[in-house]
Amino acid sequence: MAIKIIKKGIADSLQDQGRYGYQHQGIQPNGCMDYLSAWLGNAIVQNDLHHPIIELHFPAAQIQFTTNHTICITGANFVPVLNEKSIPMNTPIQVNAMDRLTMLQPLEGKTCYVAIKGDFEKPQWLDSQSFNGKRFEKEEQILILDQSDQINPNFKFNPLVIEKVHHFLFNNHDPIRIIPGPAWQDLTEDSIHHLLNAPYSITPQANRMGFQLAGPALSLTSPNNYLSSAVTRGTIQLLPNGELIVLMADHQTIGGYANLGQIILVDLPRFAQIKTEHLIKFSLTKLATAHNLYQEMYAQFKH
Amino acid sequence: MRTSINKWAIYSLGDHAIVFALSAQIDPAILHTITALRQFIESKKIKGVLDLIPSYHTLTLVFDISPFLQNIDNSTEYMKNFGEELIISFEKEKNQIHDPVNEIIKVPVCYDPIFALDINTLSDEKQISIATIIELHCAPIYQVYSIGFLPGFTYMGTVNAQIQTPRHAKPRNAVPAGSVGIAGPQTGIYPSESPGGWKIIGKTPWVIFDPAPSKLSRFKVGDQIQFYPITTLEFDKLNEYK
Repeated sequence: MAIKIIKKGIADSLQDQGRYGYQHQGIQPNGCMDYLSAWLGNAIVQNDLHHPIIELHFPAAQIQFTTNHTICITGANFVPVLNEKSIPMNTPIQVNAMDRLTMLQPLEGKTCYVAIKGDFEKPQWLDSQSFNGKRFEKEEQILILDQSDQINPNFKFNPLVIEKVHHFLFNNHDPIRIIPGPAWQDLTEDSIHHLLNAPYSITPQANRMGFQLAGPALSLTSPNNYLSSAVTRGTIQLLPNGELIVLMADHQTIGGYANLGQIILVDLPRFAQIKTEHLIKFSLTKLATAHNLYQEMYAQFKH
Repeated sequence: MRTSINKWAIYSLGDHAIVFALSAQIDPAILHTITALRQFIESKKIKGVLDLIPSYHTLTLVFDISPFLQNIDNSTEYMKNFGEELIISFEKEKNQIHDPVNEIIKVPVCYDPIFALDINTLSDEKQISIATIIELHCAPIYQVYSIGFLPGFTYMGTVNAQIQTPRHAKPRNAVPAGSVGIAGPQTGIYPSESPGGWKIIGKTPWVIFDPAPSKLSRFKVGDQIQFYPITTLEFDKLNEYK
């Protein structure tokens, strides 16, 4: 029982909730870029929310199944086809031996997930199956254990939640909400004005480590040397040349650049799905709002 | 959320981390307090705490929002109290915290130019003999102030001002594992082959990061390290990369 990579994609991998508890040793957390779509896929195939899941970027890998499985495709719409037939997203799909899953076109979003019912027989390191910088290779086989664990046909994941999550991720042009960080106070007034008013976009220099932004360059009131300290996913760093970098799932654990602020956790999946051609605005939010939004989102996935 | 108590600043970093910060200085005494706080918080086994990351003058506590803030109405107020109470009890109990005897770890380094890719240039630029560079690099007892950039990459200080040098303007594509570099007041060891901009003045035969879960990083923040020079022959004998 396995899936096989027929054609290699640009940056596809197995991801779970990531690896925490080792950042003091410099070990990156990794994990899904868009954890909301991963939760959704896992919930639909009745896996645990934090179950490992296949993460695809476009051009994506072509996958062949060697046995029957229940799968679900969530996140970015890359126009999935099974053999020659188009298949719906956000719904359980039965696949059979020799079926091939292909992604045709990056219609909406940047990161797509394929949830598969069952456990992956993959090496685990420090309690996670996410590996830093590890990509699926051509001909790679990913073994799947646990066929007996079929999905309950009478259970259906709440379609209203599916609709809500999809809308939140893709049909929503609200600003990306941030909380000011330690170097916010060192920004010039003009820079704060730009960051909160000007449109920014994500350059093609965007990978699992971080997204570089295009937009007005920012500056600090005086050149400042910061002692390196811990950074988190969603941290917005100001480089000495005025450019901004947002740290994503494979971020390094500490950083010495000006730490301007953090994108709130609930908006990170939305940010991860924004394509290069789209414009982004940022707005400030409050800590308590960020927590409430996250808790409300999470509550919808708990049965 | 931002508050202060005694000499500590406590502030939230985004919505899922809290920073405990002392004054921003490269100071062994400050580092010592930071690592003691880490040990203190770790021993409390607080629900939802994912990571405790020490670096120079800060300790960053990363948490999982849902368990950490379970049944909390006013999270801002809660986090402020949480941080303040933690520091108050730390200050009260810190004299009783068992302080592991921090022995100086003596690390062998071969400074032969076959490994020390930048030592000849450094010697020319600074008009200091290679022998003196080695002597100056081996004299201090360095503190590990931070680990990051790569798993197990140690940021140590402080390098003698006479041999301080900026990073390469353009980083090398591949610095070999074990390479010992300097950058400004810092010195460090590349735990694995990677791109890197530090000036390379030697190489240790020791494996600095081993992915075996019982081993991982050879050093931790707060360790004291002193280098000693070895010949290429001794390097071969001690070489753990074979």
